[in-house]
Amino acid sequence: MRSFLSLYKQFILRPLLRHKLRTIVTVIGIGLGVAVMLAIRIANRSSLASFRVATYSIAGDSSLQITGSAGSFDEMLFADPAWLRKYGRVSPIIDGVCTVSPEDRQHREYLHVLGVDIVRDAAMRRYSLTGLSGRSQITTIDFLRLLADANAIVLTERFARSHGLAPGDQITVAIGDSHRDFTIRGLLSDEGPARALDGRFALMDIAAAQQAFGKLGLIDRLELRLDPGVDLERAENEVGAGLPAGLQVIRPGQSYVEVEKMISAFHFNLSALGSISLLVGLYLIYNSVSTSVIGRREEIGMLRAVGTRRRLILGLFLGEASLIALAGAAIGLGLGHWLAIVAVRATATTVNTFYVSVAATSALTSSRLEPSEFLFAIGIALPLSIVAGALPAREASRVGPLEAIRGTERLRRSRRPPLLLAGASLVLVAIGVVLALQGPIAGLPLFGYGSAIVLMLAGSLLVSAVLWCACKAASGLTPSYFRSLRLEARLAAASLSGSIPRLAISISALAISLAMMIAISIMISSFRRTVEYWIDQTLGADIYVKPMAGATDDASGKIASEALAMIKSDPSVVAVDAFTSLPASYQGRPIMLGAGDFRVLLDHGRLMFKSPFDARQKMLEAIGENAVVISESLSLIFNKQPGDSIQLPTPAGPQSFRIAAVYYDYSSNRGSAVMDRSTYERLLGQSANIKTSRVLPTSLSVFLAPGASSDETIRRIEAALSDRYQLEFSTNQQLRREAIRIFDSTFAITYSLEAIAISVAALGVISMLLTLVLERRRELSILTLIGASRLQVRRMLVIEAVIIGSVAEAIGIVVGIGISFVLVYVINVQSFGWTIQYHFPAGFVAQTAVLMPALSGLVGLYPGHRASNVPALTVVREE
Amino acid sequence: MPLLIVENIERVYGEDSQRVAALRGVSFAATAGEFIALKGPSGCGKSTLLHLVGGMDKPTRGTILLDGMNLDQLEEDDLVSVRRRRIGFVFQFFNLLPTLSVIENVALPMLLDGATEKQARDRAAGLLERVGIGKRAHHFPAALSGGEMQRAAVARAVINQPALLLADEPTGNLDSANGSHVMEVLEELNRDLSVTVILATHSEEAARYAKRVISMRDGMIEFDRSESLLHEKLLKPV
Repeated sequence: MRSFLSLYKQFILRPLLRHKLRTIVTVIGIGLGVAVMLAIRIANRSSLASFRVATYSIAGDSSLQITGSAGSFDEMLFADPAWLRKYGRVSPIIDGVCTVSPEDRQHREYLHVLGVDIVRDAAMRRYSLTGLSGRSQITTIDFLRLLADANAIVLTERFARSHGLAPGDQITVAIGDSHRDFTIRGLLSDEGPARALDGRFALMDIAAAQQAFGKLGLIDRLELRLDPGVDLERAENEVGAGLPAGLQVIRPGQSYVEVEKMISAFHFNLSALGSISLLVGLYLIYNSVSTSVIGRREEIGMLRAVGTRRRLILGLFLGEASLIALAGAAIGLGLGHWLAIVAVRATATTVNTFYVSVAATSALTSSRLEPSEFLFAIGIALPLSIVAGALPAREASRVGPLEAIRGTERLRRSRRPPLLLAGASLVLVAIGVVLALQGPIAGLPLFGYGSAIVLMLAGSLLVSAVLWCACKAASGLTPSYFRSLRLEARLAAASLSGSIPRLAISISALAISLAMMIAISIMISSFRRTVEYWIDQTLGADIYVKPMAGATDDASGKIASEALAMIKSDPSVVAVDAFTSLPASYQGRPIMLGAGDFRVLLDHGRLMFKSPFDARQKMLEAIGENAVVISESLSLIFNKQPGDSIQLPTPAGPQSFRIAAVYYDYSSNRGSAVMDRSTYERLLGQSANIKTSRVLPTSLSVFLAPGASSDETIRRIEAALSDRYQLEFSTNQQLRREAIRIFDSTFAITYSLEAIAISVAALGVISMLLTLVLERRRELSILTLIGASRLQVRRMLVIEAVIIGSVAEAIGIVVGIGISFVLVYVINVQSFGWTIQYHFPAGFVAQTAVLMPALSGLVGLYPGHRASNVPALTVVREE
Repeated sequence: MPLLIVENIERVYGEDSQRVAALRGVSFAATAGEFIALKGPSGCGKSTLLHLVGGMDKPTRGTILLDGMNLDQLEEDDLVSVRRRRIGFVFQFFNLLPTLSVIENVALPMLLDGATEKQARDRAAGLLERVGIGKRAHHFPAALSGGEMQRAAVARAVINQPALLLADEPTGNLDSANGSHVMEVLEELNRDLSVTVILATHSEEAARYAKRVISMRDGMIEFDRSESLLHEKLLKPV
């Protein structure tokens, strides 16, 4: 051990410190890779952290929850919940979301409101009020007094402090399409549900909540806290069996689990993207250790000659890889935490829009690094770096004492075209194609990612052959107008072709990064074109209306019938599609159930249908029938096609529907099933227990007469509504712009991740070129000796860099196009249930084809400068 | 006027107590077409002198005039130009570029000087024939024997028809047979092309090919003897 440490210090540490630039470049490369992986991990965890805390802390001590399979349900179904009481305590809940400062879209905040029967709810949750006669714990009587007033509300201390509010103050919030004023009667201290959502939580009496949220006669769920000794599973089964149709029993946190499942594909994709940077960083480690081995073959030979065992040599170089990994992990930890903040913000819009509105806006709650993050950083960097360094370390352990001392290694070069590697590359392409044809596993496109990885490997194996061809081309085909560069090109080509195996790894790293950049750019371009076309085709209404307090996953926001009537009565309005949406659950996955006016849609609006070919006719036939049109996500995820039947949860209980058609819907990957309004009202009407508020729409699509001005119409309607109804109006143009903005922000993080991966790869190229200069000091000094000028030497290095960049770009384009097919036709479909039309951004790809070699040339200037300053005397000094 | 004038050259390495004088007041001159052997034990300064004469290093004191040019006063680019056109180098370890074929190695100095591909290759081919390895023109250095590589190095050194050829232990890495072949080549080139050859060697056999022997010890010229004994003189230490 002592000899190992001693050798390690002299043989590994000192050279690392001596070649500072190369060491720093490698460490930074690994650090960036670790930072990105860590940032994505933290962002993924944080994006739902608030929602998870909210779900579980709001759930309190409840053991089971009874919910409607399609939103709120009639409270009369449990007019006498005696049969439930034998299991434990029961508490009814109204669960809604209201908006604070709704007019200010930038600073709009959502407040999660719980309406409770405080007498029964005391068994479920702990409430602690502050500033009440000096006492921190209050009794149920105190609470009853507080909430007796129908306009009473209890906020959290945290929220009140941040908004300058105190008990006794008024607060105006938007619920659905109305403003409501409440009086703050108390403040909850930071405990129990008050800790949820960074304090954006409020408590009301259940009756007041029913009135405020337009749920008179309805409740959102019943919570059941089992008595000690009652078996959870037995109770769950028995309660489930005893429930009327349309209700379900779930465990607390089920909604979180469902959303987590839905968002898993998004998280997985981000993680996969983030891993590219780490992968490229590993190439840097390989390059660094490899350079170390090659540059010191004679020293290694000497060590072997004096009796050093092979495994000690192996251990030394694995130790070098480990040290770089640990240093990189340390940098990655610091950088990763900062990047996580950026990543959370970058993904907030996506999570907000597509998954959970109240979840992703909270920033990272802790500025300290968690122990798990330390372990994660080291856990990914260290083993992978050891794997990356294993090959050169093994090569080092095989250096024989005699060969190295003789120095004949300098002369040996491979000159044959690497046909075997090219052949292996083709085999891998075939494997990649086969993998791409496989289906998802547990809803994740694992085979798709496998295909992408295999294609990347195929590209890596192709580097040697392409480089060989590029060198041949460079030495023979320099155009006449570059005649003055012909010699330098030939020297560059000769130099590179003699080092192909060494260069291939580093060029692969750059090629992979470029391939991913091109693939993702093609995918985003395809997606954008598809979404733009879809928006163009689908957004046919002139004005869109929703309650100001609308949230992504909340069904509280309804539009009053009076408001609807006022809108319809405007002289410019020719038709209104009143749409009602309900969150529902289908086979353990959240979906959206909708009801719209099919006639209006068919006459004025547009839906982009996927199938069948006569979808419009089928939709017409679905009016008044038990038939639905479903979104493509629903169709793909649950393998449902037109003509199939589907049993869906409705407010009137489970109903069987015929699938009339499948339409494209890029507004959410939640999966939607929409029936005609008349069918919906008929179903509601069949059940005497469902209240008429259920038919109120949650959004409107308004169609104007030809030539009518949307802006003027909106002004008129707003004036007519005055302050009675809080509705948000968007013109067709505004909604299109907003949709594109959300789309672009969704992919902003993707671009950032790609930029980081390319930066890491560029670091690798610089490192590789500097290494080449170091390794070729003898040759460079010979050139100077026999009369090469500094300019000629610099040009040679720059041309080498351009060749390297061109080879990486060429492979990157080919592999990138291949991977883009996998992304568009496999990964995207299996992850999100969206098919998109392939679009090839020729202009962008052409730009990169020019820019990358040019950038490489620029990158080559510094190594070229170093090379041109190698003195002629170097060669004789080394002798 | 002599082709080369070396006047009172000193080369000191290090500072203060670490100073080492590799050359101490060396002076000599060489005319066109001379074949001079710098002889002496290892560490006597003969290689250092060769490096200075070749413009690869700068003297601490003294002047070196090549064709009337003071090498010490030339910028790096000018020195490169001088090395390219006026001086050829041959070293103990051949120093061929392993990624170029033999003919490409030989042609390189001419190409660096702006000659066309055809001109350079034609002359290189001729020189390779002349040094006896014409058939190996398209092989790579790794495939050649030591003697063949050194002959290629000699051909490269003279392709630009330099006035001065500097050879530092050219036979040091060769067996006696190959060493003799290389020396014969140098002798022939000296005779036929009138290129001045300065050969640094500790080998008696190699030195015999020279017409003038400058013996060195401890950084100084011990004696300078030509065939005709006309230039023999004992130099006193400075």
